[in-house]
Amino acid sequence: MIRQKQNKQLKIYDMATSLNTKRIIIGILSLVFLVVLLIALWKEVQHAMPGYKPAPIVDAGTKHCISCHAEKGAGKVIVEQWKTSKHAEVGVGCLECHAANKTDVDAYLHEGALIATVVTPYDCRKCHEKETMEFVNSHHADAGMIMGSLDNVLAEVVEGDVNFNSGANPAAASGCWQCHGSRVQLLTDDQGNIRKYDNGIPKLDPKTWPNTGIGRINLDGSKGSCSACHNRHAFSVKQARQPENCGKCHMGPDHPQLEIYQESKHGVNFYAHKDLMNLGAQPWVVGLDYIAAPTCATCHISATPDMPVTHEVGSRISWTLRPKVSEKIDVQEMAKYKAQGKELPPGFLTWEMRRANMQNVCYQCHTKNYVAGFYTQYDNEVFLYNEKFGKPALKLMKLLLENQMITPAEFDEQIEWTYYYLWHHEGRRARMGASMMGPDYTQWHGNYEVADRFYMEFIPDLVEIIREARAHGRTQGAQTVESELNTLLNSDMHKWFLGKMDPEELKKRKEAAAKFRDRYSESK
Amino acid sequence: MGLAKWFHESFPVDQEALIKITAEPIPNHLKRWWWALGGTPLYLFTVQIITGIMLIFYYVPEPARAYESVYYITHHASFGWLIRSIHRWSSNLMIAALLLHMLRVFFTATFRKPREMNWMFGVVLFLLTIIFGFTGYSLVYEQMSYWAMKVGTGIAGATPLIGGWIADFMRGGSEIGQNTLTRFYLFHVVLLPVLMMVTISLHIYLIRAHGVSELKFRGDEHSEKKTFPLFPDHVYTELIMVTILMITLVTLSLLFPVQLGEPANPNVTPLHIKPEWYFYPVFRWLKISNLTIGVLGPILFILILFFWPFIDRFLERKLPGKEPAFWIGIAGMLTLNGFLLWEIFGH
Repeated sequence: MIRQKQNKQLKIYDMATSLNTKRIIIGILSLVFLVVLLIALWKEVQHAMPGYKPAPIVDAGTKHCISCHAEKGAGKVIVEQWKTSKHAEVGVGCLECHAANKTDVDAYLHEGALIATVVTPYDCRKCHEKETMEFVNSHHADAGMIMGSLDNVLAEVVEGDVNFNSGANPAAASGCWQCHGSRVQLLTDDQGNIRKYDNGIPKLDPKTWPNTGIGRINLDGSKGSCSACHNRHAFSVKQARQPENCGKCHMGPDHPQLEIYQESKHGVNFYAHKDLMNLGAQPWVVGLDYIAAPTCATCHISATPDMPVTHEVGSRISWTLRPKVSEKIDVQEMAKYKAQGKELPPGFLTWEMRRANMQNVCYQCHTKNYVAGFYTQYDNEVFLYNEKFGKPALKLMKLLLENQMITPAEFDEQIEWTYYYLWHHEGRRARMGASMMGPDYTQWHGNYEVADRFYMEFIPDLVEIIREARAHGRTQGAQTVESELNTLLNSDMHKWFLGKMDPEELKKRKEAAAKFRDRYSESK
Repeated sequence: MGLAKWFHESFPVDQEALIKITAEPIPNHLKRWWWALGGTPLYLFTVQIITGIMLIFYYVPEPARAYESVYYITHHASFGWLIRSIHRWSSNLMIAALLLHMLRVFFTATFRKPREMNWMFGVVLFLLTIIFGFTGYSLVYEQMSYWAMKVGTGIAGATPLIGGWIADFMRGGSEIGQNTLTRFYLFHVVLLPVLMMVTISLHIYLIRAHGVSELKFRGDEHSEKKTFPLFPDHVYTELIMVTILMITLVTLSLLFPVQLGEPANPNVTPLHIKPEWYFYPVFRWLKISNLTIGVLGPILFILILFFWPFIDRFLERKLPGKEPAFWIGIAGMLTLNGFLLWEIFGH
C-alpha cells in the first residue's frame, strides 16, 4: 500500500522529457525573456534620452494625406513638423483639425474627405475647450475689431488707399492685419458664387489670407487664431513660451514690450539662463519647473503653484496703457453694465482681482513689500503721464475740434501727428517701460520724449493754430484754446516752462547744480 | 586571548552545530552555478534594504514634499543619484531573477510533493516583490507615480465584491492624497519588508527541511548521489554571483542613472501612462479586455500559480506521460513575452 502510494508520487526523473532537454528549453525561454527585457530596457533608455519623441501615431486618414503631401514641396516640411508635435504623439492628425462641416462655406471635398484650409478656434475647441473659451473671451480675440481706430485710418487712408489695386489694401494686409487679424474672405464672381481652383478648392481672398493675426475673423464666425502663438504644424510649447513669440507683434515704437523685456532684469536673466528655463515642460510652473527668469508667458499666462494657466491674457493686467489716457482695465466694461442697469456677471474680473492675479506671480520670486513698492512706482508713473500730459493734451485737442480750429479729418494737420506721437508712441513707451521694469524705455524713450514732444512741438503747434485762427477772425475759438493753454502752463506742473518756478525750488536746484558741476569738474 | 575567551563565555556558540548547519550537503547539480538563481533575489533584497534605508534618510512622505525630497536625493545629496539608481535597478533585477528562478523550478517540477507549500511561499514572495515595486514607484510622486496610483487603485477598485473596500483601504479615502502616500510608505518600508523577511525565512527553512531537490541529468541517472558542502563551496558560487550582480548594478546605474519625471499633477493626465515593465503584460491585458475581466484575469493567474502543485498533480493523473504542465509552461512563457513585446511596441 505504502509502495503504491509512493509510486503515485510524481518524481522529476519519472518524466518523459529528459532533464537535459528541459535544461535546453529553460535556457531558451530564459534567453527569450532576457532578450525581451533588454528590448524593454532599450525602449526605456530611449524614452529617457533628452529630446526623445515617441513615434507618431498615424491613423488611416492622416496616412492617406501624407501619402501625397509628404512626397513633395511644402507638404513634406509640414508633415515633418507635425511629426515632432504632441499632436502626432497622441494621434491627432490632419483630419482631426482640417475636417470641415457641410455648412462651412470654405469646405471642399478632397480625396474623399470634406476639409477646409483654414483651421479656426472652433476646430481647436474640439479638444481644447477650456483654452479656447478663455482665448475667445480675451482681448486678444478682439484684436481684429480695429475698424474705426486711428491705426486703421492710417493704414487704409493715410499710408494706403482703399481703392488701390482693387482694394488690395497692402498696408493693412501685410502690416496691421498680420497681428490684429484679417476678416478672412473667399473670392467670388460677379454673381456672388465662390471662385474655385481647377481641383475644386475654394479661392481664399489673398487680401485676407494667409493670415495668422490673433484676432482673425474666420469664415465660420469664430474670432481669433490659435496659430498666432502656437505655430503650426509643430505646436511647440517651447516656441510659444519664447518672448520672441509675443514679440512678433508686441515690439516697435508704439508698444515695445519685447525691447522693454530685453532691457529688464527679467529679460537679462532669461537670456543668460535660457538653458535652465525648462521651456518644454508640461506643466510649466514657475518656482517648480523653472526659477531662472520669467518670460511674457510666465506673468501673463502660465501657472504658478496656486494659480492655473490661463489663455485670458488680460486676467492679470490692472491698467490699460493703450489709450490716450490710461484707465483701470475694467472701467469701460463696468460702465457698460452700469449704463444697461445690469449686475456684473459672475466671474467678472475687477482690476483689483486682476492685479492680485499678477501679484500672485510676482510673489513667487519677490516679497510682498517689494511688490507693493513696485506697484506704487508703476501707478505713480501712469498717474504722472495721465495728469501732466495725457489729460491736458486730450482736452486741448478736443477744444481745437469743438472750435473748428482743426478739421474732422485725421492726420491732415501737423498737430494731429504731433499728438499721435505723444500718446501713441512716446506716452505708451513711458507707461509700458514702468510696467515692465525697463528704465531706459520709461525715461529716454518715454518720459523724455513725451516732454520734448509736448513742450517743443505740441505747444508750438497749438500757439501757431491759435495765431492762425486769430488771423482768420476765429477769435472766440482762439480765445478759448489760449485760455485753456495758459491755465495749463501756469499750473504747478508746467509753470517752470514760463520761467515761473517757485523761488525756493529754483534756489535748491541751483545749489544742487553747482554741487554736481563741482563733483564732475564741469565748467558752467 | 583574554578578549576572545570573554567573548566565547559571554556568547557561547555550539561549534559542532554551526559546522553541521553550514556544511549541509548540496546536490552536485548546483555546481552548475546558473542553477543558483534562488540566492540572487535574496542578495538583491539585501541590497534593497541597505539602499532603501539610505533613501529614507532624505525621503519625506508628504504629497507636497515627496517629489522635492526625491529631487534632492537625485540632484543634491552626495551619491544620492547612485543609491537611488541602484535601488531602482536592483528592484528590476530582483523581479527578473525571481521570474527566472520560478521558471527553473516550474520546468524541473521541483515544487512537487513534498515541496508544494514552499512553492506557495515562493509565489507569495513573488507577489510581495511586485507590490514592493508598485509602492516604491508610487513614493517618487512624479506624474507617472501619481497616475500609476490612480490607475492601480482604480483597477483594484474594480475587483468584484471587495474592490471598493480594497481601493479605499489603499488610498485611505476616496482620493489619492496624504493618506495614500502614508499608507504606501508604511507598506513599502515596514509591512512588506517584515512580511518578506518572515516568508523568506520560511522558504529557506523549508528548503533546508526538505533538502534541495536532486536533479539527475542524462547519464547521471544511475550514478551515485554526489554532494558538496554548502560552506564554503556553494557560498563561493553565491559570492561570484553577488560580485557579478554588484558589477551589473553599478554599471547599469552609471550608464543609465534613474531619471525623475515631472512632479505629480492631479489636474494633468499624462499623454502616455506606462507602468514598470513587469506590469506590461497585465496592462496590455487590461487594454484588450473590459475592466472586470481585466481584473479577474490576473487574479485567476495568481490563483493558478499559487495552487499549481495541485493542479499539476491533477493534470498528470488525467494525462499521464503527456506532460501537460510542460507545454502549459512553454505556452505561458511565450504568452507572457508576447504581451510584454506587444506593450513595448504597441500604443
